Amino acid sequence: MLSRVADSLYWMSRYIERSEHIARLIAVKLESMIEQTSEDAEASWWRVVAGLAAEGRADMPRDAFGITQAVALDRANASSLISCLGRARDNARQVREQLSTEVWEKLNRLYLRLQPVTVQSIWVHHPARLFREVLEDMHALEGVTYSTLSHGEGWHFLELGRHIERAQLLGRLLDVHFSINPDMAPPKYFDWLVLLKFCCAFEPYTKLYTASIRPQKIAEFLLFDAGFPHSVRFSVNRVTDTLACIAPGAPSLRRVPAERLAGRLKALVDFGQIDDLMAGGIGGFLADITRQCEQIHEAVFSSYIAYGAESVL
Amino acid sequence: MQQELLATLENFGGPDIVVPTGAHAARPGEAPYAGYALGAAFDEMFDAQGHVRAHYLPLENRLSTLAPDELHRRQQACELSFLHQGITFTVYNDSKATERIIPTDLLPRIITHGEWSRIEAGLAQRIQALNLFLRDIYGEGRVLKDGVVPRSMVYGSRHYRREMRGVPVPHGAYINVCGSDMVRNEAGAFVVLEDNLRVPSGVSYMLANRDVVRRAFPGVFRSMGVRSIEHYPQELLATLRSLAPYHEDVSIAVLTPGVFNSAYFEHAFLARQMGVELVEGRDLLVNDNIVYTRTTSGLKRIDVIYRRIDDDFVDPLIFREDSSLGVPGLFNAYRAGNVVIANALGTGVADDKAIYAYVPRMIRYYLSEEPLLENVETFLCRENSSLSHVLANLDKFVVKAVGESGGYGMLVGPHASTAEREEFAAKIKSNPENYIAQPTIQLSTAPTFVEGGVEGRHVDLRPFILHSAETKIVPGALTRVALKRGSLVVNSSQGGGSKDTWVLSQ
Repeated sequence: MLSRVADSLYWMSRYIERSEHIARLIAVKLESMIEQTSEDAEASWWRVVAGLAAEGRADMPRDAFGITQAVALDRANASSLISCLGRARDNARQVREQLSTEVWEKLNRLYLRLQPVTVQSIWVHHPARLFREVLEDMHALEGVTYSTLSHGEGWHFLELGRHIERAQLLGRLLDVHFSINPDMAPPKYFDWLVLLKFCCAFEPYTKLYTASIRPQKIAEFLLFDAGFPHSVRFSVNRVTDTLACIAPGAPSLRRVPAERLAGRLKALVDFGQIDDLMAGGIGGFLADITRQCEQIHEAVFSSYIAYGAESVL
Repeated sequence: MQQELLATLENFGGPDIVVPTGAHAARPGEAPYAGYALGAAFDEMFDAQGHVRAHYLPLENRLSTLAPDELHRRQQACELSFLHQGITFTVYNDSKATERIIPTDLLPRIITHGEWSRIEAGLAQRIQALNLFLRDIYGEGRVLKDGVVPRSMVYGSRHYRREMRGVPVPHGAYINVCGSDMVRNEAGAFVVLEDNLRVPSGVSYMLANRDVVRRAFPGVFRSMGVRSIEHYPQELLATLRSLAPYHEDVSIAVLTPGVFNSAYFEHAFLARQMGVELVEGRDLLVNDNIVYTRTTSGLKRIDVIYRRIDDDFVDPLIFREDSSLGVPGLFNAYRAGNVVIANALGTGVADDKAIYAYVPRMIRYYLSEEPLLENVETFLCRENSSLSHVLANLDKFVVKAVGESGGYGMLVGPHASTAEREEFAAKIKSNPENYIAQPTIQLSTAPTFVEGGVEGRHVDLRPFILHSAETKIVPGALTRVALKRGSLVVNSSQGGGSKDTWVLSQ
């Protein structure tokens, strides 16, 4: 597979994952805010903003309307839902011949559909509905990606992008909920419920731990559950698996850097103990995950995408 | 492509029952042809008396039984499907880039078996002569020594590539893919307007149009015996493969300038249909005169490049050094015979507007045959008698600058003001070699769906020719249509659309 094509598929998938994540956060938040006091809602919206944007949140609006506009529909904000979806589509367009018609059209239609949408136009009636519909389209997109693309190298690059992105997004979201922040009231019972819903984890969680909502159990579930697709461990395992499937003809020398880093991260989440983490600062652990994901990303890039000709001739 | 559309065009066609021919045929002035005006131009559907030509009868019968809003609905479904598929081109204005579809008119343009046979034979003859001409001017230059074509015209052309002198090309075929622009004149004869020998585009629209139009009129399509064009990608692949120095494991790539090019859809489409890699310049690298693509698993050798970028951008070491679209070292690899580039470099010298006037002479010179297809009458201002004739009748001519394309540096005499004509006359006098003049031609009109009915609009014809050891012409073409009433400009950037072209098998 062409390196440039692999790169586009990888980024397309990362941007789709990010768009889906934003859509879910906004949908859940819009639906849940009616049950909160305005102060609780504001703190909770702030966590959404902080969970999405690592920096540059000082000038962010603090109300639901303004935040929805900024993180979802603002075309000037490069990390908004609509910008991410546009970039996913740009990448898809560059590798159109590698995608199935179903995948391309699902993505293209979703993009075209959101073009005329403004926050004013959705605010009148049940604004969460739009984001729920976007999520439905995203799930359909995921479905056709799974069922109409050949599960070859290109598909593995899509999986790699999706799960590196997911692990990082989860890490950041957990961090704003579990790290102690002097500026902000700590999450309340209802916020823990919302966190589970942010990760589509409410029902799977209750199946395992019953409906008793305990932060430590939530952290354990979202970090270490091996079977739940929106846990950090699940994503890290997928990253490790896909790394073994990409670039089938590459000599082992070039495979080593990324695979070694992924193996190290896998060990971290496979053998992590929640009790230790809760006792000694979970923040450092989460930051470590994010950093290691970035290192894997860089290793993949320099081994398979942008390697120099002199290194292989 | 057909399967793609099956997946996306829900409820597109609908029942399509063909009324037996011989039923009453409507005439211009009657619904749905209320606004159909027959002018000086040849009309594809109606003869001069307003009778429907025989080969349009089945379509005409179908049209008169369709409710106008039904036609409208099919037209909209067709446009939506193009948008969803991303068959768009990008228009840049201000800072905003907008994606637009090229409007497809649902009413096919129909060409009879006899007409097509003449076009086919004429184009094959023409491409043969043009290839011999290119081989000659990059070789011994007989045609120049014999004074058939002026030396200065060839060596002075900015598309002449000195670097190509003495470089052998497989089968002596310089032009492998050609898309000639033809028009039908007032007398009903097809004439060649322009030979596009560099990187002609539009073939993807030919195929895409066929898909939607066949679905809009399945019954008529079936009953009329329209010849298939589905095999174009296979024929293109076979042509490219035949250029390779060996016959097994030939690695072929389509080279595109990238996603921002207006024809990007076509590049991706052709690569996908042929099952070959679509590459950009940055995917390729040259080492020791061998061309490779950079893949995740390592470097992979490339044998044949179907390039969709202009000569100027192919290799910054040889041609434009500020270009980042091409590949440094590619030309040396080419000259060393390690990679084939199709079309060959330097073909542009033969589709120059002035050289065009010499194509009939080339045909006589190289093939000792009379041209089967005529040129549009062309006056070369470099010849004194022509110059005075052109200057005296500037209001009747279209004058074009030789090296320009896309409608730049052009005077349309009948539509220009006196001041504009005077200004242009001065330009011609100061540099006569740079100008040619052609009489304005009334392009033929074909029935076209417009708001509220069907009217005649001017059309041209672009067939696609493949050439290596043999010449192949897929029986079909892109018909471009000027959607504005009375307009003769068919370019998509200026309100043009396109039509499916049906070539009948008998």
